[in-house]
Amino acid sequence: MNSNNLNHIASIPSISRLACPDCDLIQTIPPLANNEVANCIRCGATLFKQQKNSINRSLAFAITGLILFIISNLFPLLSLKAIGLTQESSLLSTAFSLLEVNQLLLSIIILLTTFIFPATTLLGTIYILMQIKMNRINCYTAPLFRFLRSTDAWGMLEIFLLAILVAMVKLGDVADVIYGISLYAFCLLILSLSLLSYSLNPHDVWNKLRDSNGCSL
Amino acid sequence: MKTARQAGLIACHFCHTLSKLPEEIESKTQYELKAGKAIIHCPCCQSSLHSRIPNSLGRTWALLLAALILYIPANALPIMTVIYWGEGQPDTILGGVVHLFAQGMWPLALLIFIASVFIPILKLIALFSLLISVHLKVQWRPKDRTVLYRITEFVGRWSMVDIFVIALLVGLVQFGNTASVLPNLGALSFAAVVILTMLAAHSFDPRLIWDAIDDEKSIQDNKSL
Ligand SMILES: [Zn+2]
Ligand SMILES: [Zn+2]
Repeated sequence: MNSNNLNHIASIPSISRLACPDCDLIQTIPPLANNEVANCIRCGATLFKQQKNSINRSLAFAITGLILFIISNLFPLLSLKAIGLTQESSLLSTAFSLLEVNQLLLSIIILLTTFIFPATTLLGTIYILMQIKMNRINCYTAPLFRFLRSTDAWGMLEIFLLAILVAMVKLGDVADVIYGISLYAFCLLILSLSLLSYSLNPHDVWNKLRDSNGCSL
Repeated sequence: MKTARQAGLIACHFCHTLSKLPEEIESKTQYELKAGKAIIHCPCCQSSLHSRIPNSLGRTWALLLAALILYIPANALPIMTVIYWGEGQPDTILGGVVHLFAQGMWPLALLIFIASVFIPILKLIALFSLLISVHLKVQWRPKDRTVLYRITEFVGRWSMVDIFVIALLVGLVQFGNTASVLPNLGALSFAAVVILTMLAAHSFDPRLIWDAIDDEKSIQDNKSL
């Protein structure tokens, strides 16, 4: 990295000129009204979303999400009652039960996709949005946000919810399936995660990071 | 209208900041630029910058072929064994779907069929044909091919649902000899197929679809001058 780094930025203030991420065509984004979306004229990719207050709303959804994530880990998500015995399962115990039957790799995959990546997404998003709100952006903010963006697809809680529903139907025939507060919290968690990904506008965050110059390289 | 590459600019993959190619880079060979070697870093987010994902085709091919090989054990080997009163009954992916159908749970059977059979096959075929079309510099329907890529990237993760169901059943159904569920090697192979195809989709660069058209256009522009 060299000191005249800033000299080769072609568009500094806010992004008005963008190259389409899917087809590389350079386009100028016209001024947009709230909730308007600019699409690429050539391939239709979403180039830019105009959203008011996206950072505040995303922060609210992320904090709600974190609380719900903690609640859904406090109690068992599903319990199964048969022959006088009860078996319980939660997010973490599902991953660890595979360890007990010698499936280390599967266990790691489940642990990463249903616990570690969702947890880092929630904690990291809250941390970054707080930093932006309090104007405390530092050298690690941008790389952390980059990490969160690239691991976004690997948190699979919504798919896990579908799997829970499938398991409930499959087991409902042969045994008593019991669910409680954790499962309700888990459903609400999926809702707040989807609202978070809808309201979080990466362009807004990058613009803030670009403007702040919090890190002199 | 120009693409960023034609204008001598590089867009950051993450924050979309456009950077000019510094002079010392313009003097480098076109080959090195095409290979997408990271020579500069994004001034906004410090990500390494390259005009196209480095070695996108090679990496996508490798991941796709690995997925294709593992697809065989994923379907041939049982994914889980349900032990009922001491008797084990191993099931493959397709066997499980057929079982659900026989039990009359056809909405569930359909869901598992779409997630575990239809989507993986669709993904393998879609990525395969996208790679071939880029190699042959096909100019046919670039927009539709980009949409196909986006669908492939979006739906791929949902194939994990069967793996999660197995994990839940293994955790819940542990009643000793009366009833228990054990995962088999097929489950791990299938999870690997899903992960490898996801990685393959991530490493494919959709801008390569459009490069064939842009390159052709700039050749024609040069001729008319
Ligand atoms: Zn485009
Ligand atoms: Zn960047």
